Amino acid sequence: MNDGMMMASQPQIMESLCVAVAGQGGDGSLTLVTLIARALADYGYHIYESRNVASRIKGGHAAAFLRAGVDPVPAQGHDLDLLIAFDVEAIEILGPRVVENGVIIFDSSSEPCPMGGLKTGVEIIDVPFGRYAVRELRRDLYKNSLGYAVTCAILGLKGDLVQAKMREVYGRLPANVIAANLAAMETGFQIAGDFGYRGGRSRWQPRTLSPTPKHHMTGNEALAFGFLAAGGRFFAGYPITPATDIMEWLEKYLPDLGGVVIQAEDELASINMALGAAMTGTRTMTASSGPGIALMTEGISQAGSAELPVVIVNCQRAGPSTGMPTKPEQSDIGLMTQGANGDFPHVVLCPATPGECFEAGRLATDIAEIAQIPVFVALDQVVAQDRASFTLPHMGSLTINRGKRLAGPKGPGGPEYRRYQLTDDGISPWTIPGTPEGMSLVTGNERNEWGHVDTGPENRRRMMDKRARKLETISAMLPIAVNWGDASSDIGIIGVGMERGVMRDLTSLLARQNKSAAFHSPRTLWPVLPETLEFIAGKSRVFVIEHNREGQLFRLLGGALASRSHMTNITRYDGRAFSPEDLVRRLHEEGADL
Amino acid sequence: MTLTFKPKAPIWCAGCGHFGVHTALTHALKAAHVPAHEALIIAGIGCSGSIQNNLNAYGYHALHGRVLPTATGAALANPNLLVIGAGGDGDGYAIGGGHLLHSFKRNPSLVYIVMNNGVYGLTKGQNSPTAGAALTNGEAPLDAVQLGLSVSGSTFIARGFVGWWDQLATLIGEGIQHARAHCGFAFIEAISPCVTYNDTYPEWDGKLADISRDEAYDPTDRVQAMSRVMRLSEQGKLAVGKILHTTGSTLDQRHNVSAQRAPALQDVLPANNVSTYEAIARDHLV
Ligand SMILES: Cc1ncc(C[n+]2csc(CCOP(=O)(O)OP(=O)(O)O)c2C)c(N)n1
Ligand code: SF4
Repeated sequence: MNDGMMMASQPQIMESLCVAVAGQGGDGSLTLVTLIARALADYGYHIYESRNVASRIKGGHAAAFLRAGVDPVPAQGHDLDLLIAFDVEAIEILGPRVVENGVIIFDSSSEPCPMGGLKTGVEIIDVPFGRYAVRELRRDLYKNSLGYAVTCAILGLKGDLVQAKMREVYGRLPANVIAANLAAMETGFQIAGDFGYRGGRSRWQPRTLSPTPKHHMTGNEALAFGFLAAGGRFFAGYPITPATDIMEWLEKYLPDLGGVVIQAEDELASINMALGAAMTGTRTMTASSGPGIALMTEGISQAGSAELPVVIVNCQRAGPSTGMPTKPEQSDIGLMTQGANGDFPHVVLCPATPGECFEAGRLATDIAEIAQIPVFVALDQVVAQDRASFTLPHMGSLTINRGKRLAGPKGPGGPEYRRYQLTDDGISPWTIPGTPEGMSLVTGNERNEWGHVDTGPENRRRMMDKRARKLETISAMLPIAVNWGDASSDIGIIGVGMERGVMRDLTSLLARQNKSAAFHSPRTLWPVLPETLEFIAGKSRVFVIEHNREGQLFRLLGGALASRSHMTNITRYDGRAFSPEDLVRRLHEEGADL
Repeated sequence: MTLTFKPKAPIWCAGCGHFGVHTALTHALKAAHVPAHEALIIAGIGCSGSIQNNLNAYGYHALHGRVLPTATGAALANPNLLVIGAGGDGDGYAIGGGHLLHSFKRNPSLVYIVMNNGVYGLTKGQNSPTAGAALTNGEAPLDAVQLGLSVSGSTFIARGFVGWWDQLATLIGEGIQHARAHCGFAFIEAISPCVTYNDTYPEWDGKLADISRDEAYDPTDRVQAMSRVMRLSEQGKLAVGKILHTTGSTLDQRHNVSAQRAPALQDVLPANNVSTYEAIARDHLV
C-alpha cells in the first residue's frame, strides 16, 4: 500500500488498508478498530475485522485487526500498514508485521518505542496517552478518542465525518462523557499536527466510493440470523468459546418473535432439549465447539435414528480436549462426519463467509426438517468470529420449505397414519403432538412403520435403507463448491472455511507473479459431493489445505475414493491462520510448480 | 377416523411394580380428561422406559438419562401439551441425575414419574443409586425427595407406592393438575419393586410412612416437609404421600411462553415476518 512516499509528498490513494490495535486484554481501547471501520465504511470501503484475544478474563496481549478494501475483503491478511500499540509487548509481537514505511502510533507514557525488528522507514508517532487520560473519565474511551483522532488525521479522513462516527458509536453515553471525548479528539488532532499531519496533509487519502448499504456481521451472528429467518424458534445451548455469540445473539432477537433461548446445564441437556422441541415441530438449533459437540454425539445419533430435525453448529477451536479455546482449527471434521454411534444419514455444511453463514443457517434449518435429519454447520473460529461487510438477501425474498409435515388441524386424513411409513424417497410424512388423528410413537430404537420396536432382520434392512435414501432425496439442495482461478490449470487447491479467504488472497498474490491455479472450496463437507472428486480427478496435482495435524479433510476425500496418489496435504495446527506467503512457501516446499 | 398405532400390552415380568405405575397413570389421565392427542409421554431407557408404548398418547423414547431435558424442550416449545416424563431410578438418578437437580431449580411445567426399584432392571440387576445399604456394602442410598426439597425452586414433590395404587393415581392426578395449570414441575417417585432382581415388596411393609394420614401435615411448608422426611429416614422409613405442594416462578413464565404464545405454533412464514427481519438486518448496517 505504501510505496515509500514520505509525508511531505503526495498522500497515498487508499486502495486497501490493514490496521491493528493492540494492548492488554480487557482494555476497551480495542474498540478503536470499530470506530475506524465505521468511518471507512462510510467512504464505501468493504471491511473485515478480527480479534486475537487470550482466553483470560482480563490482561494478556490482545489485538484487534481491520482490513479495508475497495473490493470485498476475503481474510484478515498478515501485513500491517498501521499499528496502534498501547504497550511494548504489542510492538514486539506485531511490530515486525508493519510494512516498510508503515506507521506505528505508540503509547509512550512509560517508555520509548523499541525499534528492534522494525522494517525500514517505519514512522513512529509517540503519543503519551497516559498523560492525557483524565481520571474522572473512562480511560479506555478516552484513549480510543485520542487514538482515533490521530489515526484519522494520518488516514486523511474528513473531520466532520470522523466526529459523526464517534457520536454514533458512543451514542448512548452521557453528554458530559461525549463532550470530554470530543475534547480528547481535539487533543489527538493537535498531536497529529505536531507530527506534520495538519492543514490537509496526510499519509493516505481515502477514495470516495459509492457507498451501498452493507451489513457487518460475524459468521456466528449471520448464521443465527439465517436460522431465525428460516423460522427457527428454539435454541438450547451451553456457553463455550467460540460458539457463545450465537446464543447471545439469539437471546437478543428470538424472544420477541415468540421463540425461546434456553441455557442448559450441559451439552447433553442442550441437544436433548433441542430434540424435545423438535418433537413439537418447532424449528430448532443448538451450537457448541468440539468439547460440547463430543458430549452431544449420542443425541445427534438419536436425531438420526428417531428422524428428528435439528441443526447443530460446531464452531471449531483448537483441540484436542480443552486445547486452545480461542484459536481456530478444523479438527472436528472426523467427529462431525463419522463421529456418532451407528450409521445414519446426516449433512455437514461448511460456509466460509458471513453471507454464506446466513444462507447455511437458513438452508440447514430447511434440510433438517425436509429430511428429518440432524444437520451440522461446521465453522471454525475464524469464520465464526471474524466480522466482515456483505449484503444480506432481501428479507421479502426468503422462503421456507416444511417438507412432508402434515399440518391439517385434525390430522393426516386417509385411513392410516404410520409415523415411519416406508416411502420411495425415504421421508415419512409426519404430524406433531396435539394433532388429534396423527398419533405417533417416536423412538431411537429400531421399529416398524407404526413406531413399535422391531428387531427382525427384514424390518431392520428396510428401515436402514429407508433412512439412507433420504440423503439421495435432498442431494440437489446441498450447496456446491465455489470454484475460481484458472480452471484449466494442472494444479488444484482445495480448502474449506477459514482457508477460503487465504486462498483468495493467494490467487491475487499469484496473479501479481503471472501465475495461477484452480481453486475449489466445498460448501458441503458431508456427504462428499461428486464435484470434488471430479475436480481432484481432473488435476495432475492437488493440494488440500487445512487446519489440523492429521489431515482430516484429506482423509475424508481419500475415504470418498479420491485418488491419494496426486494429492498432497498442507496442514497447520499452531492456532494461527495461514498467510498467502506461508502458502506459497509451503506449496513450493511440496514441489508445486507455482 | 385415521388409524394410528395401537398401544401394546406391557412386556414386563409378571408382578413387576411398573404395572402398578401403568395402571395408576392410565387412571389419572382418564380422570383428568386429558385428550389422548394432547399428552406426550417421554420415557427413558430401562424396563420402565417402555411405558409410552402401552398408553394412548403421543410417545417418545428418549435417550438413557435424558428424559428431563427432552421433556423440558417439548414443554417449553408447546405449552399446550401435557408433557409427562417417565423412567427408572437408574435413568433419573444416576446417568440423568444432574438434570433432575436443574429441573427442580427451573420448575418447568411438566410431570416426571420415576419408577424406583433400587436396581437396574433392563441390564439385569446391577445396583441403582437407591439400592439399600445392605446391597451396597454400606453406601447410603440417594433420596430424590430430600434432594428436591433442598432446591428452593421446587414446587411439587410426592412419593407413592405401587402397592397403594389408588393413592399413587391420586398423586399423579394432582401432579397432572399442577403441570397443566402451568404451576411447574410435578415430581412423583413411585416405589415400584423389581420382582426379578430386587424383590422388595415384603420389605416395604412397615417401612413406608404415609404422611397424608397426618392431618396436621402441611405440604406448603418446606421446612416442616424436610424435617419430617429426614426424621423418618433416620428411623429407617420413607415418607409417602404429597410431600411438597407450593408455588414458585416457572420456566414457561420466565420465557414468556404460554398456550397462546407457543414457539411451536408461531407463524414462521418469512413473508409474514418481513418487517421484523428487516429491522434486525438494519441493526447490522455499517
Ligand atoms: C448411555 C447408555 N448407557 C447405558 C445403557 C444401558 N442401560 C439400559 S437401561 C439401563 C439401566 C436401567 O435401569 P433403570 O433406569 O433403573 O430402569 P429399570 O430397568 O430398572 O426400569 C442401562 C444402564 C444405555 N442404554 N445407554
Ligand atoms: S426385570 Fe424387574 S424391572 Fe424389569 S420388567 Fe422384570 S421385574 Fe420389572
